[in-house]
Amino acid sequence: MNSPVQERLRQALACFVTAYEASPELVAEQRGWSPIIALAASDAPARVVVSLDDGRIARAAAAETTPPTLEITGDLDTLCDVLALRRDPNEPYLFGELVVTGAEADFVRLDYIASRLCPT
Amino acid sequence: MPHVKTAKTAAPGPVTLVATGCGTAIACVCALDLGELERRLGGLWSVLAVAVAALLCAALARALGRLSTVVPSGAGLMAFLSRGLGRRVGLMLMLPYVALVMALVAVEARIVGAVSARLLPISPTVGALVFLVWTWAIARSGLRPGLRAQAVATGVLMIGFSLLALAGVIGAAHRPDFAVHILPAAPSPLALLGGIGQALFLFMGFELVTNQVELVRAPGAIGSALSRSVRLLTVFYALMALAFSTINIGDPQRVPIPPRDGLRQAELASAHAIVLPPPGSGADGDWLTPQLGLGAAAGSPIGAAAIGLLCMLASFTSFNGALLTLSRLVYALAAQGMLPRRLARMDAKRMVPPDALAALLAAAVALTFLLSTRALINAVLAGAAGVAGLVWAAAVTVRERPPFVEPDRPRRHRVAALAVAALFVVFGCGAIVECLNPPAPVLAEVVHAH
Repeated sequence: MNSPVQERLRQALACFVTAYEASPELVAEQRGWSPIIALAASDAPARVVVSLDDGRIARAAAAETTPPTLEITGDLDTLCDVLALRRDPNEPYLFGELVVTGAEADFVRLDYIASRLCPT
Repeated sequence: MPHVKTAKTAAPGPVTLVATGCGTAIACVCALDLGELERRLGGLWSVLAVAVAALLCAALARALGRLSTVVPSGAGLMAFLSRGLGRRVGLMLMLPYVALVMALVAVEARIVGAVSARLLPISPTVGALVFLVWTWAIARSGLRPGLRAQAVATGVLMIGFSLLALAGVIGAAHRPDFAVHILPAAPSPLALLGGIGQALFLFMGFELVTNQVELVRAPGAIGSALSRSVRLLTVFYALMALAFSTINIGDPQRVPIPPRDGLRQAELASAHAIVLPPPGSGADGDWLTPQLGLGAAAGSPIGAAAIGLLCMLASFTSFNGALLTLSRLVYALAAQGMLPRRLARMDAKRMVPPDALAALLAAAVALTFLLSTRALINAVLAGAAGVAGLVWAAAVTVRERPPFVEPDRPRRHRVAALAVAALFVVFGCGAIVECLNPPAPVLAEVVHAH
C-alpha cells in the first residue's frame, strides 16, 4: 500500500508523531497508556497504525496484525487535517465526520493530545 | 509509576445495551410525568397514550438503528442531524434539547430533595443541593460507573417499581371504585393529544444508547437494543400508569372528576369541605413525588423507603450520565470558540473538563432554585416533550436523506417517515398546548383552591 493517498496519510501521521515527541511534558502525562491506534480513510484506500507503549510512540506503520484498541475513520482530508494539526479533532467528531471504534476514554485522551498540539 | 491506563474495550452485550437504553430513559421525573398523565387522562387512557407514544418511538428506533449503522458516531443525534441536515441546523435543533436536559436535571434535583426530606430529617433544598454536588464531585473525580453496573442498577429499579406497581394494582382490584379509576370518563381530543405528547417524554433518553456505538462492534446491535428498549419501556410505563391510577383508590379526597366538568367539580367541592395544608408545607411536595405513594399503596413503610432509595439511584445515574455527556459537548463547543475558551480546559490526569463541569453544576443549581413552582416544572416537562418530538421528527426525516437513505428505497417508506415525523411534531406541540390549559383537578385540589 504505497499509493499517493497512503503516502499522504503516512506523512500526516509523521507530522503528528513528530509534534508529539517534541512535547516531552505531554508524553510524560500519558505514561501508562499503551493503545494501538488505527486511522483509516473512508473515501480512499489508506490506513495507518500507530502503537504507543507507556505513552511513548512505539511504532508507526501502514498495517498491523494486532487488532487496534482504537480505530478512527473519516474522509482522507479530515484525517490529514487533524494529523497535520490544522484542525481540532473535536469539531469533525461532534458533527459525525470522524467515527471512532473503541473506548471513549481512549478517544478522549487522543483528542486531548491533539487539542494540546493543535496551534488553534 | 503509570499515570493512566489504556481503557478496556470489552463490547457490551445485548442485555447491557437494552438496560442502558431503559436506564437513560427512566428517571424520577418520569414518575412526575406519569402523575401528570394520570391527572390529565387517567387509567387506561394513560395506558393508551403510552402505547401510541411507544408506536412512534418504535418507528424512531428503526430509523436510529439505520443512522447509527451508517454513521457509527458516539456523538449520536448531533452527528446524525449534522450529517443529514448540515451543521447549523443540527446545532439549532440540539441546543434547545440540551438546555431542556439541564432543566430536567434541576427538576430531578428538586424531586431528590423532596424524597430525601421524606426519608431524612433535612430540608428539600439541602437534599437537592447535596445530590447535585455529590454527583458532580463523582464526575469531577473521573470515576465513571461501568455500563454493566448501570445495567444492574436499572434492572433493580425496574423490577422494584414493577413489583410495587403490581402489588398496588392487585391490592386495589377488590375495591368498589376500582373500575371508576381504571376507566375514567373519556378525555377531550386535545387532552388525549397532549397526553400522548406528554407520554413521549417518558421515552426521552432511550435514544442515547446510540452513543455506545463506539464500543459495539456487532452491526445491528444498537438498532436491536433500541427496539427492545422501547418494548420494555412500554410494558414498564403501562404498568406504572395503571398503578398510578390506583394510588388514590379509597381516598375520599381523590375522587376522579370528569375532565373540564366545572359543574361537577363545584358540586363535589361543596360536598367535601376538606381543608388541606397550604402550598409550601410538607404535603405540597406530594405531587412532586407520586412514586412514594406507590410504596404506600403497596401497604409497606419499608416499601416506601425502598422506593426512595430506588429514586435516588435513578436520579444519580441520570444526572451522572447527563453531566458526562453534556460536559463533553460544552468542552467541544468551547474548543471551537462557540462558548468561552476557558471551558475547553481538560484535566490531563482525570480526562474530564473541570470548568465545563463546574459551569454545568452552576447552571443546575441556578435552575433548581428557579424552577420553584408546579407550573414552571410542568412547563419544563411539556417543553421537553415538544423539543424531543421535534428532534425525533428530524431524526426520522434525516433517515430518508443522504448519506443515510438507500438508493433504491421505495417511496412509501419516505411517505411513512414523513407521517411519523409529522405526528411527533403534532403530539409534541399538543403537550405544550395542554400545558397552558390546566387539567381538571382532583377533588382535593378543588377544595384546596376554595
